[in-house]
Amino acid sequence: MGPRWKGRASEAKALADPMSKIISDLHSSLVQSEAHAVLAGYSALLAVEAEQTELLNRACFGRHIVTAEKDKQWYQLGMEEGFYLCHSLKCLKIVGEDNSMKNDDELWLYMKAKKETFPLLYKAYSHLRKKNWVVRSGSQYGVDFVAYRHHPSLVHSEYAVLVLAEGEDGENGRLRVWSDIHCTVRLCGGVAKTLLILTINKNGQGTATPSCLEQYAVEERTISRWSPEQCREDPATVANGIK
Amino acid sequence: MEENDCDSWEKASDNEDSYVDEIDEEDYYMSGFISKLQFRKDISKAHWNNELGMAEVVEKKGKMWTTTGIVRNGKTYCSIEETLFLAEIGALYLLDNNDLCLPLKEIYEKIANEKSGCSWELFEVYRHLKSLGYIVGRHGVPWIVKIPKGRDINITSDPVSLQVTPKRHGVMDVEPKEESSLVALFYNIQINEVRPVFDVYLPNRKFKKSCPGDPSFLLYLTCKYV
Repeated sequence: MGPRWKGRASEAKALADPMSKIISDLHSSLVQSEAHAVLAGYSALLAVEAEQTELLNRACFGRHIVTAEKDKQWYQLGMEEGFYLCHSLKCLKIVGEDNSMKNDDELWLYMKAKKETFPLLYKAYSHLRKKNWVVRSGSQYGVDFVAYRHHPSLVHSEYAVLVLAEGEDGENGRLRVWSDIHCTVRLCGGVAKTLLILTINKNGQGTATPSCLEQYAVEERTISRWSPEQCREDPATVANGIK
Repeated sequence: MEENDCDSWEKASDNEDSYVDEIDEEDYYMSGFISKLQFRKDISKAHWNNELGMAEVVEKKGKMWTTTGIVRNGKTYCSIEETLFLAEIGALYLLDNNDLCLPLKEIYEKIANEKSGCSWELFEVYRHLKSLGYIVGRHGVPWIVKIPKGRDINITSDPVSLQVTPKRHGVMDVEPKEESSLVALFYNIQINEVRPVFDVYLPNRKFKKSCPGDPSFLLYLTCKYV
């Protein structure tokens, strides 16, 4: 499945307005306004002005919170989103509820305490974002993330992403048996997405600090169902089959 | 079963596609929905009380007070989630000790510090259900309490009367047996240690705090992120 653009003009629009530029503009704008977000549970809450509202929407970070406040717009950032803006892009500061600034190490510990799998999920999130994919939560589809080639208004989401750890089984292992794979592939097909597995190898680094992330390796694999009946006509387009 | 039915598998993906992506897009157009908020002329006022972790209502405007806030000897108090919900939609001014209106940012910070019996996630649940018209109260907290005459209790220094009481209020009649089998059922999804957080009633224009009836649902929140 190649990218499925919504309508004829969408592809051209996306090419004219690359995600990398949108994110770069967002970066400048946030830095200039010294934006900071407040940690609240599993989210970070950020108040922005009108210009940044537009950039956040175009870059697909956060979810807008409807409030009656007229001069500011509030956004709710997920942990991966918040940490990406703070640690990778360095355009956002994050404070605790007592207004104390949190440095990257403190944030890392906070987020790990909330979600044990945060290091793996964050590596996967940042891996895709750095390549200019738009990454959103995949919990609606029973997966970790969904990835779009550009803004969801322009393109259908192509990939449903599951993040696995290399070599670790444990109770939290996913896709442990064939029926798990059948189930997930079937669901993905039903919502027109390809299952993308990102396998993260920590290379013995552990999860003590965010600098461990640099040594993690990511392997990408897609799993899709090959249908022999459909491929007879044109052998050149035979899909890869199940790896 | 449809093991070899590739045709229907393909068809399903075509049909469901546009429906599913609508849900994806919903989030992105929320900024256009600000107009959904009612523009209010009459805004209620409440004073935040740090000791209680609640807001004491000093001026009531609008009809929402029949389903919001608990009453203790005639005075109405709001939990942090009720307070934030009303402040977010512009129906309430929350005042500090100097009668200055607290900005939304400070109310968000109060929820974030989790010192008033609520968390951000719990607030999201509360807000979602309230926006749909459900009536939501903290489990085990009676809507109305009158302290009988002759008992010398100062409401504001007796937080127990306002917080969750260990004994269940008479309006609710959940058998202990039922509850423990429910707990056993959910053991493997790690919901075994939670207690109910909210009582949820179906939308009801005739709801009365003096006689609320049984809640339609008990809401439990799981905390484990699997």
